[in-house]
Amino acid sequence: MPDDKMIVEISCFEVWRRLSDYVDGEIEPDLKARLTYHFARCRDCKALLDGTRNVVALIGDEHAFELPAGTSQRITSALERRIAEDREAGG
Amino acid sequence: MIDEFANRKVVHGGGPDEVVMGPPILVPAPGHVSVPPSGGTSPDVAHRTYTPNAATLRNELVLIERILAGERELFMELVRPYQKLVYSMAVTVVKNEHEAEDVSQEALFKAFKNLSQFRGECKFSTWIIQITLNEARHRVRKQQRAREDSIDCGLESEEGDYIPIDLADWREIPSEALQRKELRTALERAISDLKPIYRDVLVLRDIEHLNVAETAETLNISEASVKTRLLRARLQVRDALAPGFDGYWNTGSTTYKRVRAF
Repeated sequence: MPDDKMIVEISCFEVWRRLSDYVDGEIEPDLKARLTYHFARCRDCKALLDGTRNVVALIGDEHAFELPAGTSQRITSALERRIAEDREAGG
Repeated sequence: MIDEFANRKVVHGGGPDEVVMGPPILVPAPGHVSVPPSGGTSPDVAHRTYTPNAATLRNELVLIERILAGERELFMELVRPYQKLVYSMAVTVVKNEHEAEDVSQEALFKAFKNLSQFRGECKFSTWIIQITLNEARHRVRKQQRAREDSIDCGLESEEGDYIPIDLADWREIPSEALQRKELRTALERAISDLKPIYRDVLVLRDIEHLNVAETAETLNISEASVKTRLLRARLQVRDALAPGFDGYWNTGSTTYKRVRAF
């Protein structure tokens, strides 16, 4: 159980400022502890944390921004054609 | 208080420096590059987020040497793993699938024509991304699109404090809504609607999974800027997906009310 006297309270503004770093684990240990302590006690910030984590998970999913059907083949064909034409033209 | 994604798995941990291995690459014997017959490459390669390992990077330099020496057809093998990366960048900038295909093809051709200028000082992926971004932005300027309306839920300045939308009005999104394609569409639109400086960082960090240093190098900005812009981008996308003031999950609206002073 954290000693309340040892944890310096942190404002929600401060928490929001470092939220992205916290999600990525790119945060100094003492600040991380303060944010963790804050999330356990602040429903709004915890909701924001959960929402942000889930957005990151959604965005990072392989299927976000999938290549539409046929796109890969079309890009490849067009590129091959242009390279061949470029050779014809003496490029 | 219930978060809007209450039914979704919450992601924990996993730093951005986790190395993701790409598809297996045949490591060549010196002087030889093993190239699968055309059509034999896995169709998945172009669709996967591609993070080359050290062996792959060496392989790429060998490929580039051979292409410059005259084996032009090897260029297709060099760039095929980057198609998704190139297309993703293009579509978030030009916001149109057909245009994005054109931009992708043009950017890759420019990479081909200028391949001799690639010195290996930066990563090949960095170079490709920069070419793609330039081409996409050029296309947008050329067509004189209307100035994008951006979602900005707080102060204008990058350093300004962020104030999240709607902390007091959360409702749970029905689980059916989360399964629908509309969510994907809303997500893609939310990202495309971001201001470019935020969008580009988000695409590189959270879609292409480049780390902070790689992102900074690619976009030619400081690492501190990468982190600051990523924060704003993520929070703005979250705000765009959040239930509106009236409690509905609204994907149709592109107008987001400014937040109340907190």
